[in-house]
Amino acid sequence: MTGALQGIRVLDLADEKGALAGKLLAGLGADVVLVEPPGGSRLRSIPPFWQGTADAERSIFFWFYAAGKRSVTLDVATRAGAARLRRLVASADVLIETEPPGRLDELGVGADALREVNPRLVVASITPFGQRGPYRSWRASDTVAQAMGGMLYVNGHADGPPLRTLGLQAYHQAGIFAAIGIVSALLARDVTGRGQDVDVSLQASVASALEHVPGFWHQAGLVGHRQGTMHWTRYFRVGRCRDGWVMHCTLGDWTSLIEWMKADGMGAAVDDPALEDIKTRQAQAERIFDALDAWAARYTVAELTEGAQLRRIPYAAVRAPEALLRDPHFAERGFFVPIEHPGLGITVPYPGAPFRLGDAPWRVARPPRLGEHDSELA
Amino acid sequence: MRPLEGTRVLDFTWVVAGPVTTRILADLGADVIKVERRGSLDFGDRRGGLSGTLMRGKRSIVLNLNDPRGLDVARRLAAVSDVVIDNFSARVMTNLGLDYETLIALRPDIVCVRMTGFGLTGPDRDHVSYGPTLQALTGYTLLMAEPDGPPAGFGYSYSDLAGGNLGALAVLAALWHRRRTGRGQLVDLAQLEAVACLVGPTLVARALDGAASAPAGNASQEAPGAPHGVYPCAGEDRWIAITVFTDEEWRAFARVTGIADDARRGSAAALDRLVADWTRQRVAEDAASLLQRAGVAAGVVANAEDLCARDPQLAARGYFVDVPTPEGRSVRIDGPPFVLSETPARVSGPGPLLGEHTDGVLATLLGMSVDEIAALRADHVVG
Repeated sequence: MTGALQGIRVLDLADEKGALAGKLLAGLGADVVLVEPPGGSRLRSIPPFWQGTADAERSIFFWFYAAGKRSVTLDVATRAGAARLRRLVASADVLIETEPPGRLDELGVGADALREVNPRLVVASITPFGQRGPYRSWRASDTVAQAMGGMLYVNGHADGPPLRTLGLQAYHQAGIFAAIGIVSALLARDVTGRGQDVDVSLQASVASALEHVPGFWHQAGLVGHRQGTMHWTRYFRVGRCRDGWVMHCTLGDWTSLIEWMKADGMGAAVDDPALEDIKTRQAQAERIFDALDAWAARYTVAELTEGAQLRRIPYAAVRAPEALLRDPHFAERGFFVPIEHPGLGITVPYPGAPFRLGDAPWRVARPPRLGEHDSELA
Repeated sequence: MRPLEGTRVLDFTWVVAGPVTTRILADLGADVIKVERRGSLDFGDRRGGLSGTLMRGKRSIVLNLNDPRGLDVARRLAAVSDVVIDNFSARVMTNLGLDYETLIALRPDIVCVRMTGFGLTGPDRDHVSYGPTLQALTGYTLLMAEPDGPPAGFGYSYSDLAGGNLGALAVLAALWHRRRTGRGQLVDLAQLEAVACLVGPTLVARALDGAASAPAGNASQEAPGAPHGVYPCAGEDRWIAITVFTDEEWRAFARVTGIADDARRGSAAALDRLVADWTRQRVAEDAASLLQRAGVAAGVVANAEDLCARDPQLAARGYFVDVPTPEGRSVRIDGPPFVLSETPARVSGPGPLLGEHTDGVLATLLGMSVDEIAALRADHVVG
């Protein structure tokens, strides 16, 4: 079996803002060629580094995003580099870039110029705010994009500052939408015979990864606020067990939950027929979660979550990401894929497929050394 | 022409994650037929708002799948569909008699997407989950916190959006594969794994260093940044995000704010205090414009009103669209965040009313007569 995008070649000029797009396409089986400046991609200089040593071949940040890609080096700002890029474009299907709008046009290698070489080329541009509009030349980091896309404002304690979460989620959403746009453009190319531009905005991608915020504004002029771990639906809140945090959930089998609490002699506060109605549970969330917290303190996280799942109540441990590395469910599904790094003499577990196509397996491979494939792709 | 014109999706999804996948397919031109039941969960106005944004451009039919005649209708619709998708727990579609083996007998090249919490295999496959429990299991909840602080979020189900958006990529990849090979396939999308992938390099770093992840507030998780974070502005609950990576950006920042050039060499906390002293005296929008004009990444921490009613960039991009409804109203809905220059995705229509398209779908796709449909409706098999 081969990957779904077997036979598709992607030239990946993206910095960290768009690096996930090429990674997803490589996972789907495309031949993704990282086009790096002679000194190496910016990603190679971003920590953390293997054993703490800053080196172009030791950035774990780079490894994650470049896994499964090939590497060629050229300086697109030079005449020779631009000429080589045009030669590479002749045999490519897709180009991904993250330059400020207009920059590649100035260098003579914008989408229109490249499609004179290859009319079937799909060009995906991932920028903070998109190719048009008053903020098109504004800059953004992942945090600024999360802020302007509406993700930060609703996260954090009610009396504290807006807070970000784990990972570069603005960049990741933009990478996902770029990959969606690219495969859509390839499907369209089958019909039209021509490539096209895919314009992805970090800010808009974040806005498309919100839940209640825009909908409630449009519907009722409501502004969602921060409320700590209380979910906007008011059916979830973090609680404390003997040995750690747990996610409470008041959806699921309410009767079983109350029976369980009563068996522990703790159900009195919530043993109220009115609470069988989920709307009432929503309205009285604070009172319910306070009672659940008092009860949960008797248990370990494992006892509570296992007992809940047996009763079809969606509880879960609130845990650190590294717990996934030891999770038997992930082990049995083979989520982490051990990849050898021959230059360093180590084997590194990489996160595997975000989804599994039964007839087209996900591909994980090691990241390339700088310019490793220069001679193969002259 | 849109990329998925001529593609039909039979959509059994509910709540948020699955509908997020199929709204993207609808934007791309697919005919998405949402199979619903009476009394199913929704979020108010089905045309616009949260429900409308999730169901934009789809058709809605009501089927009772617990009645053999309702199940028969579902199977006949699957036979004329390209994609069948659900986001129930693993065993639900099997118990209903709509598992992959049944579907390929009806339509040999079907793309069957099972979007479960934990996947179709593995010891936890029958565990029940929602977005908040999945983001708790993958580290997002614990690490949304100040250094040494307790969890402070999430306020919403990011996991549903992340898994849903990745689901659309899965469907597109499977459709591309089918076009090349003629073969459909089963797609096993565990939302837990989808969000685990998006943790990023931290998972690899922890595997190598064996350390314990600790919350870092709003510190940079990419190139080191100083200052980097969220700072209070004038007014109630107004904030600005600021990121300074390079020396050049720092010089511009110091020039605009008047903060001493050597302040960057001190502690991050001391620098953050100086930055906050400057931002507190300014309106967030003004400070952001000032910094951006100097080449510094900065932006308002947008609340719903900032995002939907005040942001000139999203407005210029046409991100929110006003969609007419059959009742003569207009509802505002989010559109796709990517622009295809030649075959653009767009919002196909408002959210459907419950069962709005039952008659039309059964008549045109299955050739059922008015009398047949009326008989099924009288028995509450369709609605």
